[in-house]
Amino acid sequence: MKFSYNWLNSFFEEDLPKPQKLADKLMMRFFEVEEVKKVGDDALIDIDILPNRASDCFSHLGVAREIAAIYNLSLKEPEIEFKSGSKELTDFVDLKIKNELTPRYVLRGIKGIEIKETPEFIKKRLEVCGLQSINNIVDITNYVMLEMGQPLHAFDGGKVGDLIQVRAAKKDEKIITLDEEEKSLDGSILVIADDKEPIGIAGIKGGKGTEIDEKTDLIYLEAANFDGKTIRKGSKKLKLQTDASIRFSHGLDPELAEKASRRAIKLMEKYANGKPLKGSLDLYPDPVTLKTIDLSIKKTESLLGVKISEEKIIKILESLGFEVKKESDLEVKIPTERRDISIEEDLIEEIGRLYGYENIESKKPKAEVEATKKPEDLFWEDRLREVFKASGFTEAYNYTFIDEKVKEIFGYDDLVEMKNPVSAQYRYLRPRLIPHLIKNIKDNEKRFEDIKIFEIGKVFSKKEEISVGAIASNLNFREMKGVLNSLLTELNISDVGYERSSNSWAGEKAAKVLVGNQEIGQIGEVSKELTEKMKLESKPIVFQLKLEKIVKLASKTKRYKKFSRFPVAMKDVSVLVPVKVNFEEVLTLANKAAGEDLIETDLFDLYQGEKIPEGTKNLGLRFHFQAEDKTLSKEEIDKLLEKIISSLEAKSGWKVRKK
Amino acid sequence: MIDIDNLRKKALSEIKKADTLKKIKELEKRYIGKDGKVSDIFKKIPQAGKEKRAKLGKEANKLKGELEEKLKNKRLKLEKCEKEEKVESFDPTLPGKKPDLGSLHPLTTARKELTDIFVGMGFSVIQGPDMETGWYNFDALNFPKDHPARDMQDTLFVKGEKEKVMRTHTSPVQIRHMEENDPPIKVVVPGRVYRNETTDASHEINFYQLEGLMIDKDISVSNFKSVITQFVNEYFDGDVNVRLRPSFFPFTEPSFEVDMSCSVCDGSGCSVCSQTGWLEVLGAGMVHPNVIKNSGLNPEKWQGFAFGMGMDRLVMIKYGIDDVRLFYSGELRFLEQF
Repeated sequence: MKFSYNWLNSFFEEDLPKPQKLADKLMMRFFEVEEVKKVGDDALIDIDILPNRASDCFSHLGVAREIAAIYNLSLKEPEIEFKSGSKELTDFVDLKIKNELTPRYVLRGIKGIEIKETPEFIKKRLEVCGLQSINNIVDITNYVMLEMGQPLHAFDGGKVGDLIQVRAAKKDEKIITLDEEEKSLDGSILVIADDKEPIGIAGIKGGKGTEIDEKTDLIYLEAANFDGKTIRKGSKKLKLQTDASIRFSHGLDPELAEKASRRAIKLMEKYANGKPLKGSLDLYPDPVTLKTIDLSIKKTESLLGVKISEEKIIKILESLGFEVKKESDLEVKIPTERRDISIEEDLIEEIGRLYGYENIESKKPKAEVEATKKPEDLFWEDRLREVFKASGFTEAYNYTFIDEKVKEIFGYDDLVEMKNPVSAQYRYLRPRLIPHLIKNIKDNEKRFEDIKIFEIGKVFSKKEEISVGAIASNLNFREMKGVLNSLLTELNISDVGYERSSNSWAGEKAAKVLVGNQEIGQIGEVSKELTEKMKLESKPIVFQLKLEKIVKLASKTKRYKKFSRFPVAMKDVSVLVPVKVNFEEVLTLANKAAGEDLIETDLFDLYQGEKIPEGTKNLGLRFHFQAEDKTLSKEEIDKLLEKIISSLEAKSGWKVRKK
Repeated sequence: MIDIDNLRKKALSEIKKADTLKKIKELEKRYIGKDGKVSDIFKKIPQAGKEKRAKLGKEANKLKGELEEKLKNKRLKLEKCEKEEKVESFDPTLPGKKPDLGSLHPLTTARKELTDIFVGMGFSVIQGPDMETGWYNFDALNFPKDHPARDMQDTLFVKGEKEKVMRTHTSPVQIRHMEENDPPIKVVVPGRVYRNETTDASHEINFYQLEGLMIDKDISVSNFKSVITQFVNEYFDGDVNVRLRPSFFPFTEPSFEVDMSCSVCDGSGCSVCSQTGWLEVLGAGMVHPNVIKNSGLNPEKWQGFAFGMGMDRLVMIKYGIDDVRLFYSGELRFLEQF
């Protein structure tokens, strides 16, 4: 909110410190100053008034009160006394309000006004605060709003019937506002109406029909207090936010309405040569009472961590306009404009900030020694990250959101949708990591040949869960599977298997990743259909795993297994089998035939092509033999190999060649 | 017929021509090896005439000696050459061949570093859901209903799910933790949060926060200052000053913004700190009694501080990154630098 330095200065007899110096101080004692700028012979100070202090500090008076407290100055209140004429307001108009959402409504009148140029000092001050001068009457209502924080509205009395009321708008009731927009209203919105029609949207904007013009002679001035929630909702519904609606939305002090109405009439008497009507119409059924809060010196010390003398505390509170009575604790009476103060801690904050947080020394907390904990998920996530890194993968963090196009390409339904995304890009929550991972490849493939990326992040479908995903542009299926196996091995997960199974993103060249019978994820080559739709040059391999399942299977404990000290013998054979045969089938047969002395089987070659009959493939196998308790003799090894070979050759269509 | 002269000529010519160690080895085998040509001569000597035997023996011995000598010299020469050649061709400025190392996201590294500092001070790490209820995200944290304070954080609402939002901060996890645990409480909460804002170089729709909470019997502003000063100095690895300024958050009272002296210019003023010498790094305060009450604890008995910082911003300051969107771009030219 913008403040005029000269205006702030006008509340004091003394000169305030220079604008930048004042701003620096406000920053440490009050709120953040966003800008200090010289404007003519004045300066603009832009202060970030936060919502708790909007009710009193969206005004120069409010900020001046803060300055008075900070510098220990006395403040001059604005003049509000004027001289009424003989005519009574009630002779012109009556007020009717049957509505709980209007805690107070003050109406005053002034007659015989002259519409003319606004005095220079008012014009200048409004300008610094970003408001353009319109005419003396409108400017005065704006001036008082910026000065005291109370929004005001001036109706042309000649255009208003003899009754003013505040009521809920009727369904589809229309009003043309001051900026000549037609607004359609409903029952949740309050209007000011005369006996015929709405003449203003309460707390938001005045109506065109009762606008002040050159010929205006009589003015009805409204200084009201409307329910903040109602105004906030109405303003959102109408998409119409005004200086008035912002102030009402935060909630205002009803006491302010009366003072501000007097102030405006005073200024109109002076600068529009009007004669104020006698009396006012003031509907205020439930006047606010002064709050009293007990403040414990001990609690103050405990919360701030510094001993501040009772005397100093009282001085600070009084400088803010609080009345303090000494009982066993302090009894503090809160001025009505300080709607933000409702509990002891609020008072302690006032003491803390005016005492100065920089004057509170830091002290280490007393604490018990206790072992710290880390979530299981995070522990395993980090373990996975390390293995990915060691395997040459780069970690990406992608958006949680996907758009309509991605939804269509991947054929997702049942997505979690956002109600109010700022852009269509963020319409849905991602159900998988894959779409963004593929996009990562696309975005990088022009510059990088060998892209390997992983991500561990939240995905959303029926529930929120953490997914582990990886993509590689230049690895083949077996290499990618190797990476996946290393990950699982590092987490001490064994009994891992792969079962061919098609899925939506990979088509046929895909498999389920199983641990025992449980599916923990999928691996596969991104389908041609998808790579075409995504305009991808490479054919990446992807896998995705559910972290939840991995965490359940992972184990922190490893057991040392005694290794055999006897030599390992290696024998190579090649097996010609029908193409449909899985490697695992061959492995299982070999293991069964040779028993535990066959400790490992490598696939060192895989051939399919012209040199062998169509419909077959050739597997080059290397068997590693080793016994736990002795050196295997040549005869023993040959015998084991023969067993394997005869078991393989027992299958029809399989042929073994020894090397 | 044994033609020693011819053999000698041929051998010497071949030795002369040999230019690699491999060839020398072959020649050694061919001429003076066990089954070599000189051995052949010795084998044939007994068959020669009596008068020739002695002469032949003498000549063969001479030849053997000569060839041995020549081969040895040539070998030494070649070995020396090869060695020299190797030394000459050694070029330490040739480009190295990179091992295939991956990299971790700078926000992962930051999260580890940040939480490690707090773990060192006795804080545990906890986490919570990204999709939250309105209660945990707002009401329990003392945000008044239908009040502009709720507009301080642009919120993404979930369609069709009443009262579900994408959490705007990690603070809901405070409540969840206090509901389940009795004080003393010392926790930090890293996590992704969401703001429904148009993105630019310093704003993202999703980003990371680190939340901290310490609740005990007598925890004060002064204690907070101590913890946060230690933390900032540890993370920024230096002599960093910290200052507290008044602020407002619905869930803390008193509330403050925490600035640290600019780590780029050491507080003398630069473009990073807009010439102020200070960088705003986190929001904090003493936990509001309503928040403690809403978590099922007694605010008469327990008090403490909470703080929240944007991890993206801290990392940007630390590494000199000028656009927050790089973190979520998947851009390898960025990611590979970490």
